[in-house]
Amino acid sequence: MKEKLTIILGFGIALLVVFTLFIYLIAKDTFEIFDIASPIIVIILVATSTYIIWDRLKNIKAGLPAQDERLKNAGYKAGYYGFIAAIWSAVGSNMGSMILFDQELRGGLVTAAVVLISGIVFMISYLFLAGKGN
Amino acid sequence: MKTRIKELRARYDLTQEDLARKIGVRRETIVFLEKGKYNPSLKLAYDVAKALNTSIEEIFIFDD
Repeated sequence: MKEKLTIILGFGIALLVVFTLFIYLIAKDTFEIFDIASPIIVIILVATSTYIIWDRLKNIKAGLPAQDERLKNAGYKAGYYGFIAAIWSAVGSNMGSMILFDQELRGGLVTAAVVLISGIVFMISYLFLAGKGN
Repeated sequence: MKTRIKELRARYDLTQEDLARKIGVRRETIVFLEKGKYNPSLKLAYDVAKALNTSIEEIFIFDD
């Protein structure tokens, strides 16, 4: 029951994120590089999380657990990599902007970069680790 | 690490999915265990041994 609730909640959040992104893009007048890159990253994040939820649902339907110790360990490791990516992206995003565009990023953009980069590192690491043994 | 899971599973006529259901893990975990690509926790190793009516050292063979 708890697992089913988590899955329903996950799908709900994914739909809300896509809906929010849609509203954000409609309301935008001009598009900068970040305005184009961030929706792409968000779409990748939503797509991968939907895949993970679908995979768990498939296992529950087959009478198997949604998660076991191997996947929990993969989640912990991916969380660690995501955390490291968050720290480095906080420093690196501003530095990268200085080198590439010769201007500092606004505080909100740094926060967005940290969330998006750490999110994508977490997802990629999780999918990679889930697909291999140790 | 080598395992005898596949051999013992065949003895009891169990599919990977049957064994996974019995132990309470996902089928992919059984696949990785059989290939020796995943080092299980002591609890999981015990559960596998129990499901196949044998001992841990009969199933998991460690190479030095």
